[in-house]
Amino acid sequence: MLDSFLSDVRFRFRAIFHRAEVERELDAEMRFHLERESEKNEHRGLDAEEASRRARVAFGGIDRFKEDARDARGVGVLEMVARDLRYAARGLRAHPGFTFAVVATLALGIGANTAMFGVVDRLMFRAPTYMRDPATVNRITLAYAFRGKPLLGGSIEYRRYLDLTQGSTSIETSAAFYSDKFAVGTGERAREMRVAAVSSSYFRFFDAHPVIGRFIDSTDDAAPAGVQVVVIGNTLWKTEYGARSDVIGQQLMIGSMNATIIGVAPAGFSGLEALEPVVAFVPITTYAYLTLPDYAQNYDWGWLNMLVRRKPGITVAAAERDMTRAYIRSWEAERAISPNNPPVVAARPHVLVSPIHNLSGPDRGREAPIILWVSGVASIVLLIACANVANLLLARSFRRRREITVRLAVGVSRSRLIALLLTESLLLAVLAGIAGIVVGEAGQGLLRVLFLPKTTTIGVLDDFRTILFACLIAFITGLLTGLAPALQSGRSDLTTALKSGVREGGQQRSRTRSILLLAQGSLSVFLLVGAGLFIRSLQKVAAVHLGFDVEPLLYVSPHLRGQHLSKDANNVLLERLQAQAGSIAGVERVTQLTTVPMWQSMSQSFTVPGIDSVERLGHFNLQMATAEYFRTMGTRIVRGRGFDSTDGASSPRVAVVSEGMANALWPGQNALGKCIKFGGDTMPCTSVVGIAENIKANDLIEDNGLQYYRALRQSAPRDAVIFVRTHGDGRRLAETVRKVLQPLMPGSSYVTVTPMHDIVDPSLRPWRVGATMFLLFGILALVLAAVGLYSVIAYDVAQRTQEFGLRIALGAHARDMFRMVLGEGLRFALGGIVVGALIALAAGHWVQPLLYEESAHDPLVFISVAAVLAVVAVAASAIPARKAMRLDPSIALRTE
Amino acid sequence: MTDTPDSGKLELPQGTLDLLILKSLSLEAQHGWAISERIRQVSSAALQIPQGSLYPALHRLERRGWIKAKWGESENNRRAKFYELTRTGRHQLESETDAWRRLTVAVRLVLEMR
Repeated sequence: MLDSFLSDVRFRFRAIFHRAEVERELDAEMRFHLERESEKNEHRGLDAEEASRRARVAFGGIDRFKEDARDARGVGVLEMVARDLRYAARGLRAHPGFTFAVVATLALGIGANTAMFGVVDRLMFRAPTYMRDPATVNRITLAYAFRGKPLLGGSIEYRRYLDLTQGSTSIETSAAFYSDKFAVGTGERAREMRVAAVSSSYFRFFDAHPVIGRFIDSTDDAAPAGVQVVVIGNTLWKTEYGARSDVIGQQLMIGSMNATIIGVAPAGFSGLEALEPVVAFVPITTYAYLTLPDYAQNYDWGWLNMLVRRKPGITVAAAERDMTRAYIRSWEAERAISPNNPPVVAARPHVLVSPIHNLSGPDRGREAPIILWVSGVASIVLLIACANVANLLLARSFRRRREITVRLAVGVSRSRLIALLLTESLLLAVLAGIAGIVVGEAGQGLLRVLFLPKTTTIGVLDDFRTILFACLIAFITGLLTGLAPALQSGRSDLTTALKSGVREGGQQRSRTRSILLLAQGSLSVFLLVGAGLFIRSLQKVAAVHLGFDVEPLLYVSPHLRGQHLSKDANNVLLERLQAQAGSIAGVERVTQLTTVPMWQSMSQSFTVPGIDSVERLGHFNLQMATAEYFRTMGTRIVRGRGFDSTDGASSPRVAVVSEGMANALWPGQNALGKCIKFGGDTMPCTSVVGIAENIKANDLIEDNGLQYYRALRQSAPRDAVIFVRTHGDGRRLAETVRKVLQPLMPGSSYVTVTPMHDIVDPSLRPWRVGATMFLLFGILALVLAAVGLYSVIAYDVAQRTQEFGLRIALGAHARDMFRMVLGEGLRFALGGIVVGALIALAAGHWVQPLLYEESAHDPLVFISVAAVLAVVAVAASAIPARKAMRLDPSIALRTE
Repeated sequence: MTDTPDSGKLELPQGTLDLLILKSLSLEAQHGWAISERIRQVSSAALQIPQGSLYPALHRLERRGWIKAKWGESENNRRAKFYELTRTGRHQLESETDAWRRLTVAVRLVLEMR
């Protein structure tokens, strides 16, 4: 089998690339045969001439023989393809405008899909680089119920990770990991880069080996303190260390860790981070110990991701059952420490053995479904582009009707003709594919600017899967666009076609074109409705009342980086930073606090006289803050007062609660003056002195509004940060504030200034992605549809020149002509609006969950889109309509 | 051995030309003309291969790797292209001969049915 295949390939290869030689041999072989045959005839007594004639007769037609011989050699088809290609290329060169229009249209469609594919594939589907046997690897998601409502557990505590690992028998390996941005390096070279803290087992999930040195081992990540070592990423090694091998043993400062470099990861190794390169890997316990020394003793700090490899033969369901048992035991262990936690029967804790990629898992957030929708939208844009190009090709094949019918008449078979036309559209698709890859590269640049982290290292050109995808859709595009025109010409009837002129397009053809046009219009309407719905959602989300201001606020965070300051010294530093910040021109107020809204949450157990268990009433969010807090943040005090400078360590203990909390604890009563006890029943009362409006402390959309505030000086938190309120937009002052404060920082410690805008903004992202992408693609679709409409109507007007001339000659008004052509364009628009609106209404069911306080059937959106499409249709048909209006009948009637 | 056209000549059934070529090459390597002559002689001139179609068939068989070709000296000292069976070709000949035998037996059985 293989033998004969190889011989076949060898044979064809020789036939194509040594064509002259093969032809010569064929000739020689034939001449030899004829000579022998005529010799034989001469022997039988014929004269030389007759002998040779008979030989030729017996042999048959020589050209036919050669053709047959070539077919038998298997080159016939290839030669034909080459001929078709040359012909198609000539045709495209002869019409550069047409070629450009088609290639550009398809390239936009292919590019949009390529760009989306590159991102979606990395975020949701592709196994991480170097991962060994990804089919057996899962991410662990914890789930439980709170007051009957199912919740996903979010990040995992270190102790829970140990409980789950030690308590289950179905998994072969498990790893914990965490990644965040840290300052890497010291002094001028320090930069915030992505660093992963990982357990030593993490590396066992990959088939990666360090370029030099070694990976983190089990002594490095021994509990509790670990060892301060680091494996640096390949890119960092090359850019910062010139790929030298003596980096091993050097010191590198990462966050507050002064780590020794022990190894260099191989090129392209970035663990589970799909988009952003991880520049360094540090032991998980080392990082944890520096952050919170008692991390391994309790279940207070959930921060980890967990990865497992199932044992051979263990299904996801079996692993889920096994790990759920471990989780239940762990839940009981936690309850032994915090008896107020709900029991297992109420919480029903269970483990979800989930896909590796977070965005394809159960805890995928608001953005993942929108990203999938946007990908779907990109493919719709491609469909519209295909419809457009098919239309252009059809129009072109009508123009070439004579040529085609002549070809058919002289005996070119229909299948050959179809092959020729398909070759042409495939050639166009190849060009469009190449251009599409370039567009896709640019498109990913745009995505990076709009939505992705700035340091993402994605790209089309260096990614095999994305290129392959682009080639595949280019090929499908070629087939799709070529099919309609090819089938049309294959079907054309010779005699009628030859008899009629160029102008009479059959009804059949214009129907195909109309359907394509209608499809384009409907899909554009569908996309624009989507864009409208997302834009309205975005507007409403952006207008959500947060309970604090965003634009004027700056978050100032001191990073001590291993400088060990006593509690008092730290307080002094914070006071100095606060005073210095307050002296900057343009700064209105400054406060200290412990919990950055939207980023962090904190709580502290407390009791309230007269209430059995406050935990059952919900989860309460704690903020500790100094004087001026509420005025700095812009949070309104509804009753009572906020904190002031008199609320010191020795003065009476005070708290402020949100309206939501006041209603939850003391419904129908005045909360002012009520008593809250922190740290046990025997502690003195902390009295409520103020009631603040609810804020969105954790989530823009879902927030329970249960917040309470304690005076910072009375509650002795571990650490605090500073918030600055400026006049006007804080972003303009951010760098000034940083420069003024940095000199106060001791040693290698430093200060970062983050505008509140940057903290809140990512919460708007899902809707912004939806609105931007739907709008972008919607406009693209609309432009394509408009061009399509224009070309069809213009073509139609050109076809009917004689008819129009006749009408005008018979006394029709120019205005009537104009109205007639315009009406035709509007009919298409109307059809598109109706069909597109129906699609959008039907799809509303699936879009609804993605929207915010916006009905998927919002009539305002539908009406606006209809108006836009009608206007565009009028504009697109006005140009040909004017042409029809201005026809000079005496010329029009004479044209052929 | 006369060369009277069209009397008692048989049309070659589809696909049998390959078999005849393989068979006549099974004894020794031959060039194209000799193959056509041999088939004509052995079949008592009943089978006459249209000479023009012999060569495409030869090339097809060569492409499949059943025969191979090399240039050599002919019996009258001229350069000619000689074809010979390959190992796969020999296997092919055996299995096709066998298939042909079974086919003819079967066809005869059907035709002689009463």
